[in-house]
Amino acid sequence: MSAAAIPDKPATSGLGGQTGLALLLPIVLVNVIGFIIPMLNLARMSFNEYVPGGGIREAFILGNWIKAIADPFNLQLIANSITLSLGVTLATLIVSYPIALYIHWSSGRWRSLLIFLVIAPLLTSAVVRTYGWIALLSNDGPIIRSIKALGVENPPRLLFNTTGVMIGLTEILMPYMILALLAGFGRLDPRFEEAARSLGATPAQTFRRIILPLTLPGIALGWLLCFVLAISSFVTPKLMGGGRVFLLATEIYDQAIVTLNWPVAATLSILVLILFGISLAVYTRLLKRLD
Amino acid sequence: MEGHQLSWPLRALVFVLMLFLLAPALLVFPISFSGDRLLSFPPSSWSFRWYQSLWQNELIISSFLTSLSLALVVTLLSLAIAIPAVYAIIRLKTPGSEFLYNLFTAPLLLPTIVLGLAILIIFATIGLLGTFHGIVLAHLVVTLPYALRVLAVALGNVNLACEEAAASLGAGPLTVVRRVTLPMMMPGIIAATALCFLVSFDELVITLFLTGPKLTTLPVELFRYVETSADPMVACVSVLLFFFTLAIIMIIDRAMGLTQTFVR
Amino acid sequence: MKPVNIKISEASLAQQSGRSSIDASPYLRLDKVAKRYGSFEAVTDFDLEVPRGDLVALLGPSGCGKTTTLRMIAGLITPSSGTIRVADTDVTNLPPHRRDMGLVFQSYALFPHMSVARNVAFGLDVRSVPDQEKRRQVAAALDLVQLGKLADRRPRELSGGQQQRVALARALVIQPSILLLDEPLSNLDAKLRDEMRTQIRDIQQELRITTVFVTHDQVEALSMCDSIVVMNGGHIEQIGTPYQIYEQPASPFVASFVGRTNRIPGRRTDSNRLDFAAGAIRTATDVAETNVEAMVRPHRISVSWTNKGSGPLLPGDRNSLQAKLQRVTFVGDMIQFHFDANGVALVAEQSSIQAHDIREPGTEATLSWAVSDTRMFGRAE
Repeated sequence: MSAAAIPDKPATSGLGGQTGLALLLPIVLVNVIGFIIPMLNLARMSFNEYVPGGGIREAFILGNWIKAIADPFNLQLIANSITLSLGVTLATLIVSYPIALYIHWSSGRWRSLLIFLVIAPLLTSAVVRTYGWIALLSNDGPIIRSIKALGVENPPRLLFNTTGVMIGLTEILMPYMILALLAGFGRLDPRFEEAARSLGATPAQTFRRIILPLTLPGIALGWLLCFVLAISSFVTPKLMGGGRVFLLATEIYDQAIVTLNWPVAATLSILVLILFGISLAVYTRLLKRLD
Repeated sequence: MEGHQLSWPLRALVFVLMLFLLAPALLVFPISFSGDRLLSFPPSSWSFRWYQSLWQNELIISSFLTSLSLALVVTLLSLAIAIPAVYAIIRLKTPGSEFLYNLFTAPLLLPTIVLGLAILIIFATIGLLGTFHGIVLAHLVVTLPYALRVLAVALGNVNLACEEAAASLGAGPLTVVRRVTLPMMMPGIIAATALCFLVSFDELVITLFLTGPKLTTLPVELFRYVETSADPMVACVSVLLFFFTLAIIMIIDRAMGLTQTFVR
Repeated sequence: MKPVNIKISEASLAQQSGRSSIDASPYLRLDKVAKRYGSFEAVTDFDLEVPRGDLVALLGPSGCGKTTTLRMIAGLITPSSGTIRVADTDVTNLPPHRRDMGLVFQSYALFPHMSVARNVAFGLDVRSVPDQEKRRQVAAALDLVQLGKLADRRPRELSGGQQQRVALARALVIQPSILLLDEPLSNLDAKLRDEMRTQIRDIQQELRITTVFVTHDQVEALSMCDSIVVMNGGHIEQIGTPYQIYEQPASPFVASFVGRTNRIPGRRTDSNRLDFAAGAIRTATDVAETNVEAMVRPHRISVSWTNKGSGPLLPGDRNSLQAKLQRVTFVGDMIQFHFDANGVALVAEQSSIQAHDIREPGTEATLSWAVSDTRMFGRAE
């Protein structure tokens, strides 16, 4: 077609402009009722007052918010969530990086197989994988038994505590980190490494000064992704925490379902969203500086 | 890539790390054949008893059926809602629709715990808590973004000239959609079907907020089971679910393979 | 050429005989049709009358608006102003599915999920033609384009030329009142293009179907059509028969777009006379401007290698110039001599049979041609 063929209304436009709106109506309805109104209402709910015994009083108080930031328990909760998520993200990065690098350096069918193996765990639910970890990390499980067999008298408890949650979360987040790293490894051209080696750099130096810096965008992406997933994760902390690990997501659930203190639950949820926003802002600024 | 240090230390390290990644998911297979009364690995004895106990577990079976019917309804509705929507966005280019497209893929970015709570509060107010259609609505919020994206690509790949040709041959707008547009979108429609089905079937956190005494889904029951008891039955369900998911993906793959021989 | 199955044409004749056979009014008529996109004018002031049964080409470079015009005729684009009439019915605002036109796209646009036969049958399906009649017509249409044996294949199994013929059959089987072709031969290789050109023209004449044909290839337009509309920048440069367009171009654009042309810039010193560095030239047409150029087709120039002491003007009806040969190009059936006349490049073409005297570059020669083959145009500078 000639270059001046700027797309006009398509052939089937005999339907008229009204039709477009009619076709969009169902999805708008679903999202308004199921997404927009609930989210707005959630924000509104954070200003309501909770009446002990399970009631909610319509109000506009800042009590929940003040509690959220000033209450020592809540502060501990937030600090725990952030530090645990950062720790998990770091651990995930460390165990994922070698795998991602190896896959990046592989090719052909072997590479496809590896990628498949990385994605496969995502097809099983988090509950199943957490269940597997419970079997592995319990006191009668193979890990503890092996540690004992090596002669350690009092092996550390690996389950129903923060350690267990961290191990489980790390594994669950690995596929995401690996995929993000792989996406970011695009800039890693083997010729850079060859150049460095030909100039006399050792593998360790090449890694530190060539590979690592070039892969920083991928690392940043993976970090963002896993951090937000970690800080909002619910299933693994709930199942592997044994009731002793208090994180934002588990607290939201308990407050909402057990205590029925919806205002506080709502406040904590908005807090999670704020943390999301901050992470995203940090990420974008970091990305600009990296370029 | 030549000359890369696919050295043995790296290989060994990657092997160990991959084991770490895959261990828990792989573990459920042997555990499901455990003969023990409690969850342990490795099992001290082997048997089919836990598989057998599944047939008597009414709760698991009924929650499976609920999940199944839920997923089917949600999938059908997702298609029925998303296909017209992408048509308006991509073909008719209704003003404002691009903004709506971005807005309605937003639910994917939110953590399910926040979404679940938000929906819980609203549903409690309007009486949809613990109802089948309530959960359908909630699932739609998370399946529609997937359907929208896949179908948008599929429709974008349909050659506009074919639709124009059909119109010039005398086909009215609805006929063109029925006989040309939709058939040419078929691989995308099938992919969207599979995606919506699996997303709804496996949905846990949001559903956890919305179930009631008479209505529960398989993921929720599995979660509650792991929370309270520690026996190998969950492993059996997991293994069966794995093959169930695999079967669905294979059926989809066959169906798409077939359509791809007919549509280019 | 294989004898063409004429069953379809009988039916179409029967259909069209309901109208008067002495039809003086144009079958297709565009009046002041224009299309604007914001401030961009894709097509302006387009007037065209096409008699029934004619094959008209819309010819021009990319971006000239020819495809936009065709799509307006088809109903895929709504004109910003103007009217389109088919047999005195105003179709300007009719949607494409009510216009009874057959459309063949550059990309063929065959339905990939249907076999060749189902593709061709589509227009008949939509018109609820009974099965047996449908099968008959589909078979006849496929025979018309000589693809009867491929009825059950899928489009992706066919070559480009075969797909194009299926697209043609699909458009013709519904016996449309007008056939529209959007650069249908552009995606074919040269040899196939030649064959298809003849085939399309033969079918069109057999069926006596009014046809509009968009192309950027002037050889196609010249060899196939009853009349040509040369377009540039959204407006019509000239409408005429192939002979008129080629021998009597109305503007410099038409002269240089259609066929090869020599351009001699200079000053108009008298009516029908242009002076320049290498001499003076008399022209068949005249203009009012002072800065002008003369145009003459390369194959109208004769080359004389013997050195006549040349005067600036030969008496009679011929122009002549001295020039020096720069190079010779051999193009198969034709030889081009590239000359330089005091800084102005001139090309003379002779068929390989004619040219029996080929000299070395550097040779001086006298070029001469008829005044009646020379046209003068104003020059914008």
